[in-house]
Amino acid sequence: MAEGYKTAGDAEHQHAEPHIVPLIYYFGVFAVLVFGTIITYFVATVDLDGRLFPGANTLIALLIAFFKMTCVVLIFMHVRWSSRLIWLTAIAGFFWLAIMFAFTMQDYLTRSAGVFTG
Amino acid sequence: MQNVNPINFEKIKEEPKVNYLTNGFTVKSWLLTKDHKRIAILYLITVSAFFALGGTYASLIRLELLTPASDLLQSGTYNRVFTQHGIIMVFFFLIPSIPAILGNFLIPIMIGAKDLAFPKINLLSWYFYIIGGSLTLYALLQGGVDTGWTFYTPYSTTFSNSYVMAVGLGIFINGFSSILTGLNFIVTIHTMRAPGMTWFRMPLFVWAHYATSLVMLLGTPVIAITVLLLALERLARIGIFDPAIGGDPILFQHLFWFYSHPAVYIMILPGMGVISELISNFSRKKIFGYEFIAFSSIAIAVFGFLVWGHHMFVSGQSVYAGLVFSFLTMVVSVPSAIKVFNWSATLYKGQISYDTPMLYALFFIGLFLIGGLTGLFLGSIGLTVHLTDTYFIVAHFHYVMVGGQVLAYLGGLHYWWPKITGKMYSEFWSKIAAIIIFVGFNLTFFPQFILGYMGMPRRYASYPPEFQVLNIFSTAGASILAIGLIIPLIYLTYSIFFGEKASANPWLLPGLEWRTSSPPPTENFEETPIVYWEAYDFTEESGLDLEDARNKYKVTV
Amino acid sequence: MAHVADIHDEHHYHPPGLQHQFEDMGQQQESASIGMWMFLVQEIMFFGGLFTVYLVFRSKYPMAFAAGSNHLDAFWGGLNTLVLIVSSLTMAMAVRSAQLGKRNLQVVFIILTMIFGAVFLGVKAIEYSAKYHEGIVPVSGLNLKTDKEIRESDESAGSPQAPVGRQDPNESLNTALGDHDSHGEKYVNTRGDFLWKDTSLVVQAQQGNYLTSDEKIAYFSNGEISQAKFQDKVRIFFFIYFVMTGLHALHMIVGLGIMTWLLWKAWLGTFSALYYSPVEISGLYWHFVDIVWIFLFPLLYLLGRHFLHGGGH
Ligand code: HEM
Ligand SMILES: [Cu+2]
Repeated sequence: MAEGYKTAGDAEHQHAEPHIVPLIYYFGVFAVLVFGTIITYFVATVDLDGRLFPGANTLIALLIAFFKMTCVVLIFMHVRWSSRLIWLTAIAGFFWLAIMFAFTMQDYLTRSAGVFTG
Repeated sequence: MQNVNPINFEKIKEEPKVNYLTNGFTVKSWLLTKDHKRIAILYLITVSAFFALGGTYASLIRLELLTPASDLLQSGTYNRVFTQHGIIMVFFFLIPSIPAILGNFLIPIMIGAKDLAFPKINLLSWYFYIIGGSLTLYALLQGGVDTGWTFYTPYSTTFSNSYVMAVGLGIFINGFSSILTGLNFIVTIHTMRAPGMTWFRMPLFVWAHYATSLVMLLGTPVIAITVLLLALERLARIGIFDPAIGGDPILFQHLFWFYSHPAVYIMILPGMGVISELISNFSRKKIFGYEFIAFSSIAIAVFGFLVWGHHMFVSGQSVYAGLVFSFLTMVVSVPSAIKVFNWSATLYKGQISYDTPMLYALFFIGLFLIGGLTGLFLGSIGLTVHLTDTYFIVAHFHYVMVGGQVLAYLGGLHYWWPKITGKMYSEFWSKIAAIIIFVGFNLTFFPQFILGYMGMPRRYASYPPEFQVLNIFSTAGASILAIGLIIPLIYLTYSIFFGEKASANPWLLPGLEWRTSSPPPTENFEETPIVYWEAYDFTEESGLDLEDARNKYKVTV
Repeated sequence: MAHVADIHDEHHYHPPGLQHQFEDMGQQQESASIGMWMFLVQEIMFFGGLFTVYLVFRSKYPMAFAAGSNHLDAFWGGLNTLVLIVSSLTMAMAVRSAQLGKRNLQVVFIILTMIFGAVFLGVKAIEYSAKYHEGIVPVSGLNLKTDKEIRESDESAGSPQAPVGRQDPNESLNTALGDHDSHGEKYVNTRGDFLWKDTSLVVQAQQGNYLTSDEKIAYFSNGEISQAKFQDKVRIFFFIYFVMTGLHALHMIVGLGIMTWLLWKAWLGTFSALYYSPVEISGLYWHFVDIVWIFLFPLLYLLGRHFLHGGGH
C-alpha cells in the first residue's frame, strides 16, 4: 500500500526529468510557420470565393492558421509530451470557444428563417 | 490498513500552541497574509459588508413598494436602487460568498494540503475584489447606475445618464478575482491532494467547487471583455451595440448571458456542495449516489453554457434559436434534479439530527425545488412570453439565489463556524434565526409568484392599486427576513468573544477538516495526512470513535 | 509506518525554489504548468468574446469589412507575423537552454525574444500612427486635425484608397459624396473625426450581385448607396481592429515585462534542469500571444485582399 500513497495529487509527472525536445522539431515548426504565412498571403490574393464557393478564401486562411496553431501548441508548447490533463485543457479551451461561436451564430444565421413567425 | 492513522483523534486532543488566528496579530500579518484561512476571513468580513449594503438597498425597494404610488423614491432613484441592489448582491456578495469564504478555507484542508497551490495569487484575488468593490462604491457615491444589473444596451451605452463606466470597470476588475480564485481551486484540486485522497474520496463540496471553478474560468473572461466593450462604446460611441449606427444590441445580450447564465451556477453549485455535506453528515449516512452527485456538478457546469438564450426569448433572437435554447434548458435541469433525488434518498432511513446547519439544508431542498421548477416554467418558450419581466422571475431567482445559495451559505457558515473560529455559537438562537429566516423568506417571495402571474411587471416604482395587498405581505416578509439575518450577526459575533470552546470534531464526523484542531494550525495539519477512508464513511473503518457518536446522537451503528 | 517516515523526510528536504505549500519539485512544477494552461484557457475566452463580435459583424457586413481590411497594410501585418514567429522560436530555444541548464544561451535567447517582441511593437506603432494621419481611427478626436498635415500625408501615400477628409463638418454629406479625389481646401478635419468615403466595393458588389440581404439595407438609403451609412460599418471594422490588436499589443507589453524579470533571473543563473518552470510557463504565455496573432493576421489584414487583385467576388 505504501506505493499507492507515496505521492500527492494526480502525480503523473512527479520527479520527471525535463523532456528535451530534439532541435529538428523546433526548426521544423519554424519552417511550417514561415511557409504557412507566405502561403496565406498569396492565397488571399487569389479570388477563391468566386472560383470555388463563397467563403473559400476565409476557409483556406483559417485552415492554415489552425494548422500553424496546432504545430505551435504541440511542439513549442510541448503538449505532445504532456499529460492528458494538458491535452484536455488545450482542447477544452477551443471547444468552449466553439460553443460561443456556434450558439451565437445559430441565432444570427436563422433570423430570417422565420420558422413560426406569423 | 486501518491502523495507519497518523492523524488520529487522540492526537488532536492536545492543542497546538499556535493556530492560524494567533499566528501574528499585526494588521500587516493580515493584509499580507498568504494563508488561505486568513484570506478566507478577509473575504468573510468584506463580503459581509457588501451583503449589508445590498440588504439596505433591498429594504429601500421593499419600502417603496409598500404603496402603489412612487412616493418614497422617485422612479429615477428607484431605478438606481434596484440596480445597485442587483450588482452588489450578484457580483460582490453571492458570487464570492461560498467559494471565496468557505471554499478558500476548506478546500485545502478537505484534501489534506497545506495551502492552495498559489497562495500569493489567492491574496491577489482578494485585492482585485477590494479594488473592484471600491471602484463600484465610489461610483455609487457619485450617483450610481440605473441600468439594471443586466446593463442592457443601447440604454446603458447611449441613454443612461449614470456611472456605467466606473461600475463596469469595477465589475471587470472584480471578474479577475473570480477567475484567479477558480484557477487556484482547479490546480489545487488536481495537484495538492494528500496521499490516498483519490478523486472519489473527495468530499462533494470539493467536487462542487471544481465545477464552479470551471465556470468561473471559462465564463468570467467573457463578461470582462463585454463590460470592457461596453465602456469603450460609451466612451467613444463606436456603435457596435447601437442599432442607430449599425450596431447590434442583441449581441450584447448574447455576450452578457454567455457569462451570466453560467454565473447563476456559480451562485448555486457551491451551495449544492455545502448541502451534500450537510445532508450526509447530519444523517450520519453515506451519501446516496456519490458519483451521480459528483458528475452532475460537472454536467451542470458544462450544460450551463448551452442555455443562455433562455434569457432572450423576447429580445428579438431568432425563433429557431429560442426553440433550441428552450429545449436545452429542460435538459440542464436534469442534473439538478438528480441531486435533489439523491439528497432525499440519503435522508431516507438516515439518523437525522436537527442541528442548525441541518435545518438550513432541509430548507434549502424545499426552496430550491420551488425555484428550480419555476425555472422550468420560465424555460418553456410559450409560458415565458407571459411571465418574462414580471415578478414571477423575481420570485424565481430569489428562490434559487436566496432560498438556495444564501441558506446554503448560512448553513455552511454555522456548520464550519466551530472550525473557523474555534468557538460554538448559541444553539437556541441559531435555530430561532433559521426558522425566522425561512418564514420571512417565504412571506417575502411567495406572493411575488402570484403578483407576477397576475402581470405585475418588475423594475417599476409604482403599480396598480389592486396589487397592493400582496405587496404588503411581501414587505412584511422582508422585515421578518431582515430580523432573521441580523440575529446571526449578533450571536456569531458574540460567540467569537464569549462562545464555548469548540472541540476539534464537535459534530463527530469523519471528514479531514475534523481531524485537525479547531481552529487549525497555519499548516493545517501537524503532518501530511494519509487518507484511507472513503468519503462520508461513518463506520469504524474511518477511525471514528463510535462511542462518542452513540452518546451524542443516539445512533445505532 | 515506514512510508510515513519517508514522506516526513521528503518534507524536510527543501530544494532551492521549493515553496512551502508543496511537497516536492515535481508537484510544484506540475502545478505551475497546469496553472498557466488554465490561465491560457481564460485568455482564449477573453479574446473569444472579441472574436465573436468579429464573427457577428463580419457576417453582417462583409463588404464593409473587406473595404476596411484592404486598407490595412498587409506588408506590415505579414512582416509582424514573421517577427513573432521568429520570437516564438527563440523563446522555445530559451526554454530548451534552461532545461539543459545552459545559462549563457538562455540569456542570449531571452534577449533575442525581447528584441523581436520590441520590433513587433515598433511596427504596430508605425501602423497606428499611419491610421492617425489618415483619419481612420474610429474614435472622434483621435485623428489628425490640422488641414496641412493631412494633405501632406495623403500626397506622400498617393494611394487611390486613401480616404479624403470630409469637407466641412457643416456641409452635407451628399455634396461630399462623389468627389473622391478632390484636393486642397477640402482637407479639413477639425474635430478629428473618422473619415471614410470610399464606397467603390459596395458598387462593385452591387454590380456583381453579392451583397447580403442585411447589407442591402445597411448601406443604402432611398435606394442609393449611402456614404455615411457605409462609413459607420467600416468604422465598426476599425474599432474591432483597434481593440483586438490593441489588446494583443498589451499582452505583448506584459510579455516583455515578464521577459525582463526572466532575463534578470536567468542572468543570476537561477534556472537549471531541476528548476525551470518559470521559463517554461513564460514560454507558454509567449506562444499563446503568438497564436492569437496567427489568427488576427488573416482575419484582419487579408480578407477581401483578392478584390485588390482583380477578383470579382
Ligand atoms: C433548474 C434550473 C433553472 C432553470 C430551468 C432556470 C430558468 C430560467 C429562465 C428561463 C429564466 C429567464 C426568464 C425570462 O427572462 O423570461 C431565468 C431567469 C433567472 N434565473 Fe433561472 N433557472 C434555473 C436556475 C437558476 C439558478 C440556480 C439561479 C441562481 C442561483 C437562477 C437565477 C436566475 C436569475 C438571476 C434570473 C433573472 C435574470 C434577470 O433577468 O435579471 N436560475 N431562469
Ligand atoms: Cu439562465
